[in-house]
Amino acid sequence: MPEEEAGVNAVEVRGLSRSFDGREILRDVSFTVGHGEIFGYLGPNGAGKTTTIRILLGLLASDAGEVRVLGRDLAADDDARARVGVLFENNGLADRMSAVGNLAYYAGLYGVDDPAERIDELLALVGLADRRDDLVGTFSTGMKRKLGIARAILHRPEVVFLDEPSSGLDPGAQRMVRDLIVELSRREEMTVFLNSHHLDEVQRVCSTVAILAGGRIRAFDSVANLTAASGRPAVTVSLADPGDRARACETVGGLPYVMGCDVNGDGLLCTLADPGATPDLVTALVGAGFRIEEVRRSSRSLEEIYLEHVGQAEGGA
Amino acid sequence: MNTLGVIAGREMRLALRNRSIVITALIFSVWFPVMSALGIAAGAGGDAAAVAGAIAAIILPVGVFMGYLFCADAFLREKRDGTIETLLCAPVSLHGLWEGKALGVAVPAYLTTLLSAAVTIAAVSTLSGTPVAAEPLLLLHIAAVVPVWIAAAAGLIGAAQLALGMRENQILGFIFIFGFIFLIAGLQGIVSGGPGISVMTEAVLAAVGIGLLALARVIAGKVTKERIVRTIP
Repeated sequence: MPEEEAGVNAVEVRGLSRSFDGREILRDVSFTVGHGEIFGYLGPNGAGKTTTIRILLGLLASDAGEVRVLGRDLAADDDARARVGVLFENNGLADRMSAVGNLAYYAGLYGVDDPAERIDELLALVGLADRRDDLVGTFSTGMKRKLGIARAILHRPEVVFLDEPSSGLDPGAQRMVRDLIVELSRREEMTVFLNSHHLDEVQRVCSTVAILAGGRIRAFDSVANLTAASGRPAVTVSLADPGDRARACETVGGLPYVMGCDVNGDGLLCTLADPGATPDLVTALVGAGFRIEEVRRSSRSLEEIYLEHVGQAEGGA
Repeated sequence: MNTLGVIAGREMRLALRNRSIVITALIFSVWFPVMSALGIAAGAGGDAAAVAGAIAAIILPVGVFMGYLFCADAFLREKRDGTIETLLCAPVSLHGLWEGKALGVAVPAYLTTLLSAAVTIAAVSTLSGTPVAAEPLLLLHIAAVVPVWIAAAAGLIGAAQLALGMRENQILGFIFIFGFIFLIAGLQGIVSGGPGISVMTEAVLAAVGIGLLALARVIAGKVTKERIVRTIP
């Protein structure tokens, strides 16, 4: 990173707004992405995720606000774009060229040093070394996506934008792409801006997320903070005899430190007034004769948080 | 290799691998000259200047059509597939991208036009029983005027294909082709005043071709990335 850019965020979005034909798509959107983070940008269809990426990449103008990638405005700075990689849904590949031909073309555009060695390295990394001379038009969707990722990082970008990288892939290929993203972030030390519908994927690979709904950012925090911040601590208690669940719920429901209790799977989901009350809860259940198999802290999934924020946005909140 | 060469080289390779376009170009570059040669051989008689003028009048529209044909692969297909969006994120100016693609269209279009010219000359020679004379103005026409017009057509059509939506492009394609053909025929008719090839005709055609090339650069300079992205289907 150049010295003058030390401390500058990899991506900065401040007060971004954009309308199309009188319809407001983005309204005062702000967030930042630090260097080396894997950032998940979530939102329903038509929320403006791809529009945000396009504005960041200089493909669309903003109506208001400021965007910077590596401290630069990519719309006005051709050279800065050499430090950024991008994968759109179409992969950016020509079907009538071979895998190696496609990569060689982009290597030429980006001025990659020693392109043959880099291309060999990436084809091996994404598992396409044995198909290097085959036309891309003969590849499966998953293979094209893998090659698209290789293309996006060919020039060793500092920031890479991945727009729905798992879209249209089977579960096995989705997992492969997910593992590849983590591997690339670790190995190539790049910032990853992941635009995705796959909440499970985002929860597994991203360090920070922003949820966009109704044109506004509804949540922006680390995945750990978002999933932990459920209002009150909760524990899930699995009972040896699931038939005891209703009676156990009645028993603990009257305890002063239990704010609520619901039957959940093989056990109970108890919301506590204080996280330190877990041992007292266990003691009370054992004292009442219930046999406990497992007790674990309960955190909300990213999906629950996402649906809550999107639901609020759709409800006009 | 510089960026212009990288982009143009890729477009040429892709064009040569597009079987339907190559077959169409080859059929047109053979069929059209042979059909035209029948008329030229019958009408021009033994007048070498008239034969050269008729051949020149045939070759220029063929070149423009070839430019239009190859544009469909370099500009329109890239837009239809959406891959243009990835290219717009590369460290290349939009003008540089347009220039490289136009060059990548013009070269194969010119090569197939040369093939067409050779077929035309051979067919006229065979049908008339007299070899077509190597008129210096005809050679100048093929070597200088034709490539300028092909480059202008590729540049103009390419810029329009980048800027317009798919439906507008379908309509505009016909307008461009007929517009170019009427312009060429009109210029040849007005300037020469009859059959034959003259210095004045070639000078006017060359000047108008250069003017169209300059116009293509101006129009391409006004196309924005936003315009391109928002007209991707």
